[in-house]
Amino acid sequence: MKRKTVFWAALFILLAALGAGTYLLPRNGSRAVISVDGQLWDTVDLAAVKEPYEFTVETERGWNTLRVSPGQIQVVDADCPGHDCVQQGAISDGVIPIVCLPHRLVIEIKR
Amino acid sequence: MSKTRKLVFMALLTALELTVWVIEGQIPAPVPVPGVKLGLASVVTLTAMVLLGRREAGGILLARVLLSALFAGNVSALLYSATGGAVSWCVMALLVGRFPEKLLWVVSVLGAIGHNAGQLAAAVAVTGTPALLWYGPALLAAAIVTGAFTGLGAMYLVRALKKYQINEAHGKES
Repeated sequence: MKRKTVFWAALFILLAALGAGTYLLPRNGSRAVISVDGQLWDTVDLAAVKEPYEFTVETERGWNTLRVSPGQIQVVDADCPGHDCVQQGAISDGVIPIVCLPHRLVIEIKR
Repeated sequence: MSKTRKLVFMALLTALELTVWVIEGQIPAPVPVPGVKLGLASVVTLTAMVLLGRREAGGILLARVLLSALFAGNVSALLYSATGGAVSWCVMALLVGRFPEKLLWVVSVLGAIGHNAGQLAAAVAVTGTPALLWYGPALLAAAIVTGAFTGLGAMYLVRALKKYQINEAHGKES
């Protein structure tokens, strides 16, 4: 029994550490690709941004206000119930995209 | 347990699970990954599965999922919670008899992994964005941590409730 407990605990700790590690994976790129419902909405070259600015992506499902600043992009406001996308904060060079599931909005960094 | 007793117990567990779900919804998520939450409601599902059976736990879970969509007024979330719930129920139903009670937390962790995998699959299908799969490893890590905690919770709850039922079987009804 003890050995089984140790086996499962070790396996899960290892998997959890590996999983959390994806946040450290870098992706070299500066293009923010914004898509809604799987369709390309717009792309922003974050390296070319000098002054921060905001714009709103609006669909029949709702709106998200995005802020672009030099090298990074984030959602600052939205009319969704959860505000998960706002709490995610800014992304700049990671593999993890920002997602707003209720509005089917995805922002990923690409080359 | 008589039929009526069982029905009352199931209704109680459904109400309990819904209440836990509502209260948990008021607590902000500690990590900024969409879809990550403690999943305290699964304590009740797993407990019901051990004490009452797979089908009964499935019924309680289904009722809670439907009611929670009504309570939250968020029907778009229903798709994700239903997919996650269905997958985690399947995983836990397959495993619950095969693990000793002391390893119930392992069943819970594997169920939580199934839950998050189901939700992620639904999200990829709905948004048509395979890039969301990058969330997979992070959701796996989250499922392990939350599943272990809710699994321990279920273990203690099962232990406590079993004691009560043993007393009941000996005629010490209160």
